[in-house]
Amino acid sequence: MVHWHGVSNTRVMLPAFGRDAQAQKQSSLAGMVAVFIALLASPCWASDADALSLADQAAQPVVARSDWQIFTEGMLGHVNQRAPWDDIRISRASVDMLLDTAINPEWRFTLANRVDWLGQNGRYEVVNTFKEGYVSWQASPNAALDLGRINLRSGVALGYNPTDYFKVGALRSVVSIAPSSLRENRLGVGMLRGQWVWEGGAVNAVFAPKLADQRQSAAFSPDWGASNSVSRYLLTSSVQLLPGFAPQFLLLGEQGQSPQVGINASILAGDALTLYAEYSGGRSAALLPAAPVSWHSRLAAGGTYTFTNNLSLSLEYHYDGAALNQSQWRDLWRNPADYWAYRSAVFNAQSLPTQHAAMSFITWRDAGFKALDLNWMLRRDLVDQSWQSWLEARYHFERMDWALQWQYQNGAPGSQYGALPQRHSVQAVVKYFF
Amino acid sequence: MNKAMQQSWATMPATSERAANNTGQRSLKALCRVLSASVVLACCASVGAAPNAQQILSASDAIRNPEQPFGLTSTLIEYRNGKQVETSTLAVYARADSQSGQFRNLIRFVAPQRDAGKLLLKNGNDLWLYDPSSKASIRISPQQRLLGQAANGDVVTVNLAVDYAANLVGEETIADGERQNRDTYLLKLNAKTPDVTYHRIDYWIDRNNNQPVKAKFYSSSDHLLKTAYYRRFQKQLGVSRPTETVIIDGLDPQWVTVLRSSDFAFRDVPESWLQRDFLPRFKAE
Repeated sequence: MVHWHGVSNTRVMLPAFGRDAQAQKQSSLAGMVAVFIALLASPCWASDADALSLADQAAQPVVARSDWQIFTEGMLGHVNQRAPWDDIRISRASVDMLLDTAINPEWRFTLANRVDWLGQNGRYEVVNTFKEGYVSWQASPNAALDLGRINLRSGVALGYNPTDYFKVGALRSVVSIAPSSLRENRLGVGMLRGQWVWEGGAVNAVFAPKLADQRQSAAFSPDWGASNSVSRYLLTSSVQLLPGFAPQFLLLGEQGQSPQVGINASILAGDALTLYAEYSGGRSAALLPAAPVSWHSRLAAGGTYTFTNNLSLSLEYHYDGAALNQSQWRDLWRNPADYWAYRSAVFNAQSLPTQHAAMSFITWRDAGFKALDLNWMLRRDLVDQSWQSWLEARYHFERMDWALQWQYQNGAPGSQYGALPQRHSVQAVVKYFF
Repeated sequence: MNKAMQQSWATMPATSERAANNTGQRSLKALCRVLSASVVLACCASVGAAPNAQQILSASDAIRNPEQPFGLTSTLIEYRNGKQVETSTLAVYARADSQSGQFRNLIRFVAPQRDAGKLLLKNGNDLWLYDPSSKASIRISPQQRLLGQAANGDVVTVNLAVDYAANLVGEETIADGERQNRDTYLLKLNAKTPDVTYHRIDYWIDRNNNQPVKAKFYSSSDHLLKTAYYRRFQKQLGVSRPTETVIIDGLDPQWVTVLRSSDFAFRDVPESWLQRDFLPRFKAE
């Protein structure tokens, strides 16, 4: 059935890997044949006049604007596991909705919710994720207040966000390891937030009180114990220091922990390359039981280069000073109970189990064919050298996406990606936008 | 430059700051501005003086872009091999920077549904994409295309005279986007800085009224990237402006994008809308 990660009540689909898969040789061949036939059938283009004639016939599409965004998603998949575990069949149905509506020019209401029906070998479980529900008051063009559950995300990196302080405990149902999915499908935090914006900068102040002690596993629980188990405050400020350079500074205070400071920065280096980095540091305890409190730094740094064919390559380095080094990691594997408790805590915090990691992410829009997107993520643990690959091919129709996803992970026993029973999985996903 | 002309351009930003509330007044002002530019250029021509290329370009910018902060709806219809393959609808909000005179743009994706609500903030080469699903604002590079064939720079409002140095290289009679012959100036535009969407542009502007007619956009390696025809001129916000641009790919002429503009309106575009931190709370009326 659905895998439970120790102390965290987060349900994870065992394949729990990414969105889509590789373009198969057969489909490529079929695609080439289709393109060839289309080329034969297409009109012969002579000049700009032909293009203008075509444009003459363009009909104006009718677009209905709506405050609602609703989609439903279905998935069928297969997970191959290492011996002695048997392979498993998995399935999922999801409904995701977002309402963002203006009550009047000053007041606004936002509601976001997701329901997942998670299936494994014919057994099903329902998990509801109440992502957001808050009211906003735009007191003036420059000042605003929000109250309610808000998914507040910080950070500029793709694969690891040390300054995304409210990610801790936010995952309730993991349906994909794709970074975008982990950001989207999570609980917001109950908070009061104020914002002041001016030309070239902004300041935000957040207070998130403690609302419950324990996580709640009931299917439709709002799970305040997951999102608001301690009182926290967060101050952030963005200031434009130079043209094109406006770093964000963060200060987090948390009940029972020393303040943490953070910074996010990004620059444009040429017309095709962006560089970014985020850092968080402060005195804190490592995630191991009875670990001493000391200053720990966390860092993510990388860049994205976009080629002329619209293929974007991102490379990132991740560092977590509170995670384990090579000898500590090797020693922990000798005690399975502590090992899995540690991994559960790391998962709950969306942190790194070991100190060093790297990630590459390739996304290619219109990859050879119009409306076909390819995404490939490769993660490598630089301490134990295990790795994970996730590949997705996604084809867009006007209101529907079809996707094929393939995930593979490999490593030595006890390594980040070698200790898990899953070896590889395939998922077919269909998504319909209402 | 003629004194009246100089005054006309010199007062542009100041006039922006003092934006009249009355739409009729705004339209009248814009019309007067375009007319004065045209009259000055016509006078230059009648007395035999060589018209100034940068002035012609500025006058043409004034035809394409309203002087005051404004909003419009852009519809992109993309064709491959004669078949419509994609349609996108965007809401564009633009406001000229008081310092540089260049427009800053906030673009909201309206359709297709999978992209609805996404925001693109453009301030010079600073591009931020906000996704309401993930609540994430990420910096993207100008080369990263979000709209098929069209570059991000194609859908935003740009004053070319700010970013390009113009040279008048000749006068040509060419077929416009409606297949009518037009007497035009041919301007060669060279980027003043390397951080613009196109390195070089050949730009044909109507000699009689400064309307943009046709443009060819080139890469830094001098390859033709695309050809654009400006057409379907209609009176919008007091001036006859192009409401449709037909973009033809430089390598594949069967790759065509129709960029159609509608719902022009002068509107307040507060400074806060153009700040990255404001993106999560942006809500269009």
